[in-house]
Amino acid sequence: MFTNQQIDLETLPTIDDIVFKPISKRYLKIIVLNRSLFYSLLFSALIIAKFMVEAVNFHLVFWYVLWGVVLVCIIDVVITVLAFKKRKYAIREQDVIYSKGLLVNSISAVPISRIQHLEISRSWLARKFNLATLKIFTAGESGIDLSIDGLNYDEAKQINDFLSGKVNGTN
Amino acid sequence: MELTDFSKPTRQSSKGILVIFALNSYKFIRNFFGLFLVYGLSISKNKSLAFLSTTHITLIILSIFIVILVLAILKFRNFKFYLDTDEFHLSTGIINKDTTIIPKSKIQNVYVKQNFIQQLINVVSLNIETAGDDKAEIEINALDRETALDLKQQLFSKNHLVDLELDEKQMQTTVFFKASVKRLLLEGLSQSHIQSFLIIVSFVFGLYSEFGKYVQDLNLEDRLESSVEFETGNILNFILANLLIVALAILISMLFSVIKTFVSNYNLEVIENEDTIEINKGLFNKVSLTLTPAKIQNLVIKTNRLKRYLGLHTLSIKQAMVNKKQQKNFKIVALEKDQVSHLVQKFFKDYNDEGVYQKPDRYYKRLLMWRSIGIGALVNIPAFFVFGAYFWLINFISITWIVLFVHYTYKKASYQITDTYLTITSGFIDRLRNISELHKIQSVELKQSIFQKQKNIASVYIATASEQVKIPYIKEHDARSIYDYLLFKIESQDKNWM
Repeated sequence: MFTNQQIDLETLPTIDDIVFKPISKRYLKIIVLNRSLFYSLLFSALIIAKFMVEAVNFHLVFWYVLWGVVLVCIIDVVITVLAFKKRKYAIREQDVIYSKGLLVNSISAVPISRIQHLEISRSWLARKFNLATLKIFTAGESGIDLSIDGLNYDEAKQINDFLSGKVNGTN
Repeated sequence: MELTDFSKPTRQSSKGILVIFALNSYKFIRNFFGLFLVYGLSISKNKSLAFLSTTHITLIILSIFIVILVLAILKFRNFKFYLDTDEFHLSTGIINKDTTIIPKSKIQNVYVKQNFIQQLINVVSLNIETAGDDKAEIEINALDRETALDLKQQLFSKNHLVDLELDEKQMQTTVFFKASVKRLLLEGLSQSHIQSFLIIVSFVFGLYSEFGKYVQDLNLEDRLESSVEFETGNILNFILANLLIVALAILISMLFSVIKTFVSNYNLEVIENEDTIEINKGLFNKVSLTLTPAKIQNLVIKTNRLKRYLGLHTLSIKQAMVNKKQQKNFKIVALEKDQVSHLVQKFFKDYNDEGVYQKPDRYYKRLLMWRSIGIGALVNIPAFFVFGAYFWLINFISITWIVLFVHYTYKKASYQITDTYLTITSGFIDRLRNISELHKIQSVELKQSIFQKQKNIASVYIATASEQVKIPYIKEHDARSIYDYLLFKIESQDKNWM
């Protein structure tokens, strides 16, 4: 039977009520490891340059550059660690929601009926920590695709199965 | 009207060999153009490769073209397609056999194209596109126009056995709009010529970097200098010469815009069918597209002050598709205002132009201002190197620009969400209106920077399968309720997005 009740906007399910679930703490280790690898490469490049380069100008600015990089490194690491707490997700009956970002916070939602395909990807480090990234794709290139990092592998598989079951069921 | 039977595997018209041959030869020449150039140069200098006589070269070139021809024939022989009740089948490949099957319901676009060679031998090519990836695109190179139109119609019809119904639909076809030469001319003239100018400049620079040496040999600079006569030192002459160059640049850009408009929109024709719209246009590359409302994700209406005065509106129809080059064909230029509304209503039945539009928060205006002031301040640096001590004069221009930019961009930004449609307007010089249906939205995102959080401001990003739009900088409370409302609208309706 067809009904056309007026919708009370106040009673709609709202994102304010969602209890988000944080991602695995182990993923912070991966982030820190990646960052430290990047910065140690940068620092070693700088130090090698200190001994190799003979141009006087370079040595004049060397310490400024070094301290600049140290400053950037500290700020970056602090922000990344703080931003880690912002990475959280929720799965509702009808959609998947992922929130991230400290400086620019974003809350993305993909309705389950709009999912085109799902993908679980695991980097080498992620395999060592038994983690996985769940990617959720919608149609079109311009779409907002979700990529939830740092899920427990079992959990990722579980979500993947649940979602693909629902997607195939609705089709 | 008798429909061609496509239920048996068929080849394309035998003229297809010629088309494939021409296409492959063109590709070959383009890929090995550099090699030819090097070879030609080495011959002219009589250095290496000179042991090949002219006969040898002719033989080599001839054999290459024979190989291309044989390949074209084989490709033609192995290219077969047929259509059953709800699937299109295609088998291709000379050694590796490929079979592609496309369910009719997944076909996004079917369009008929005709390039220059095809116009000469009077065949058309038919492209079939799905929403999937690039490889799923099918091009049938050579069909008679009649056959192609038949096939197209059968691809779109749910059941090709019901011929009678099709005939009835044919009866209701009307030519809705035909762009006159005058309107196309106006359209070309009122375009933003900056783009044309940039294309010309990059083209000239490209040519110069290729053939710079030859140009230098011609002593062009000396001639130019002597003709402009800088030596007189007369400031009036100097200004005149500069004005002349500017005027010339504007004139060439305008001419280029007009030619571009004419080439791509020549004989533009919009045909209204029972429930589809057909666009035919093009001079060298004739295209013919059929648009079905269900597949349309976004409609974008574009105009500017001058164009509105002249009654020129451009309607872009966005579908889920991969081929970006084709996207620009899905555009109808030089429409009157009421024609635009008519077409919009044809695609989106319940859409009406009226209703209240909401404005972004004034935060957006401040943000635009700070951003453009930042850019304006940076412009001073290159200006210092170009103009020396008088560099600050540039700020008169940039401040005027900033004031106009911030004022108009903010003025034109607004949004409206109704029961079924989302409309977002934006633009600075141009006025853009982007319309999409709520049930075709793919995903929603709420974005907020740390500064916006303190001021309770947020933006909502909305993606359909063809485009992403943004409701910029509104109150966080509104943003959140829009977010909830859109998700509710998408999830509570059982409508398909395509």
